[in-house]
Amino acid sequence: MKKLKKNKLVWLFLALSVISSNSLSGQEDSVAPKEIVKLHYFNHNNSLQYLLIESQLKKGKKIEPQKNKGFNLFLDKVQPENLITRVYTDNSGKAKAVIPPQLKDLWDSAAQHTFLVVAEAAGKGEETTSEFIITKAKISLDTSSTDETKNISVTVMKYDNNSWVPVKDVEVKIGIERLGGVLPAGDEDSYTTDSTGAVTGEFKKINLPGDEQGNFLLIARVEDNDELGNLMIDKKVPWGITTKQDNTFFDQRTLWSTRFKTPLWLLFMAYSIVIGVWGTIIYLVIQLIKIKKLASLSAEK
Amino acid sequence: MENIAALSNEQITRDLLPQKFGRRGMIWTGSLIVLCLVGAYAYYRQLKYGLVVTNMRDYVSWGIYISNFVFFVAISLVGSLITAIFRLANVKWATPLTRIAEIIAVSAIVFASLIIIVDMGRPERFMNLFIHGRIQSPIMWDVIVIGTYFFISCLLLYFPLLPDLKILISVKEKTGKALNKLYRFQGSFWKGTKAQFRISDKAINILCIIIIPVAFCIHTVTSWLFATTYRPGWDSTNFGAYFISGAFLVGAGGVVVAMYVFRKAYHLDKYITPKHFEKMGRIVVLLALLYLYFNINEYLVPAFKMKKPEEAHLAQLFTGEYALLFWFAIMIGMIIPIIMLVFTKGRRPLPVFIAGVMVVIGAWFKRYLIVTPTLLHPFLPMQNVPESYHHYFPSWEEWAIAIGSLSGALLIITLFARIYPIIPIHETITEQHEEVEKK
Repeated sequence: MKKLKKNKLVWLFLALSVISSNSLSGQEDSVAPKEIVKLHYFNHNNSLQYLLIESQLKKGKKIEPQKNKGFNLFLDKVQPENLITRVYTDNSGKAKAVIPPQLKDLWDSAAQHTFLVVAEAAGKGEETTSEFIITKAKISLDTSSTDETKNISVTVMKYDNNSWVPVKDVEVKIGIERLGGVLPAGDEDSYTTDSTGAVTGEFKKINLPGDEQGNFLLIARVEDNDELGNLMIDKKVPWGITTKQDNTFFDQRTLWSTRFKTPLWLLFMAYSIVIGVWGTIIYLVIQLIKIKKLASLSAEK
Repeated sequence: MENIAALSNEQITRDLLPQKFGRRGMIWTGSLIVLCLVGAYAYYRQLKYGLVVTNMRDYVSWGIYISNFVFFVAISLVGSLITAIFRLANVKWATPLTRIAEIIAVSAIVFASLIIIVDMGRPERFMNLFIHGRIQSPIMWDVIVIGTYFFISCLLLYFPLLPDLKILISVKEKTGKALNKLYRFQGSFWKGTKAQFRISDKAINILCIIIIPVAFCIHTVTSWLFATTYRPGWDSTNFGAYFISGAFLVGAGGVVVAMYVFRKAYHLDKYITPKHFEKMGRIVVLLALLYLYFNINEYLVPAFKMKKPEEAHLAQLFTGEYALLFWFAIMIGMIIPIIMLVFTKGRRPLPVFIAGVMVVIGAWFKRYLIVTPTLLHPFLPMQNVPESYHHYFPSWEEWAIAIGSLSGALLIITLFARIYPIIPIHETITEQHEEVEKK
């Protein structure tokens, strides 16, 4: 009897755990995925401004890119004349937009702008709007060099009360453009601007290969700043070692060259075989013609 | 052929003349035409929608089409074995088999060329291969050597056919008007004079000599398409010899099957005798042992070293996804035929025919196993690709085109046997006279 009671308890416990686990998973399933929209503002060389929208869906602990999602982008107000563009996200959940020329007057009229991202309604849901505020800013890069040292100065300014004022405490990265990415130019990975909005770093990467004139690109960047967005400027400097492109490698007669650079031994071999075999085939065809001629000769006799 | 010594010339001619299709022949030919048409429709779909209708993707870019191509190239090698090598070695018993071997070679090489064009996504750009081709590329060598082999095989089929054409023209009432026109067009100039025979014999001898290196080249170059690519399963210095031995085996298997079918269909028991099956059985068993030896080489050496990428490839073949197919190909294609044919009783017509069928089927699947599993094992791991890229199974269009091409090759052989004597009449009569004179 005791055993039976014990068994009953075990069954009850199992049944409860199955029900609770089912209801938990049901709850998890019923939670609607949360949409995350991020907007990144880019200013390249103080001239080209563009926006990058990143759309993601959060399902439980999983975050996935939201593909083919439509967004309307507005500058300052949600009204047709302020429309920047309409975009759809790609497979990575991203979409790019450039501020069009017709919004230039509006863009010049204020120091600070609000980008409004209106997401298309999904299914029976409603349109959602996200706001991103950006202050107009510019970045400059100067270099100076003596016999022993080479210095890089970067200044970050923002537009405020119809004038450009320095921005303090902005993190700036200074580097050199290489094939695989950006190589830090000095000892530090990044520098922070002082009250004059400037940072100075010493160029430490000596003996770095440049192009044929010894040039390479210096790059200064502000990345994902809450107020200023992404700023980037580059400048060509002749601080590298001149390199000469070695074209002799491609100029050789090799098996991997173009058809005009076939190795002579291969040409000789291939053509000898082709001529030898096809010469024989032609000879045999001639023999066939001979057989035919012999027939007409015997007919004449 | 000892039993034909008593036959008259007329009897031999009558026996060996091409015969009209019976009911079975009509069904057989009709079925082949239907299969070809289904293949043509599948190819039309491929042309219309692109290679996306196939299941070939980024990794398996050489699927069933290239397996089929290698199979056709392999079976075409039989022309050089039976015709050239036996002729040069003065092997008289093989005379009834020479034309069968040659027509198999020609039909196979035709479809080898066609299937490679089918594999191209943009076949209209085929000419670019010649306009912009690089002689450094093994693909270019393959194109050249296939074209050359096709011409040589056609000539080797045509020259010995000339005396038979004269016989066919002379029996107009039996062959019919339309065929007679064709025979006249092809061979009315053959009078059978001594001078003509002298030139013809010399030409055949030259062809027999030249076809052997070209045949070796065709399959060696095909093997180099794989072996010059650094991939597990293909990275081998042994590949040329491995492919040639396999080609000889499947070619001999194909001849054995064709011998049996023609013997039954055209009642050629007096000409294709149990002795022929006995001798061809011996050849098949020898070639199967040779191919088995090369197979052991191909798998044992990498398995002994067990480099990581090779390990994955070998594991998939021996115990993994392709194990069933792999062991089927090995057993059907080599082991069982060897066991059957090594015994005298196994070399009687029917067992030899069954062994031949097994060899051909095993050989087709063996080519599939050479091509596909390697492509699924690149050196760099497959990442961030759809699940379907990790596997390959041909789409219905691929199957239809592959089966259509195989049917096409069989259709050429069937139609050839309907139009021309499948056993050389003139050579049979000559050899019969020689035998009578000897006695």
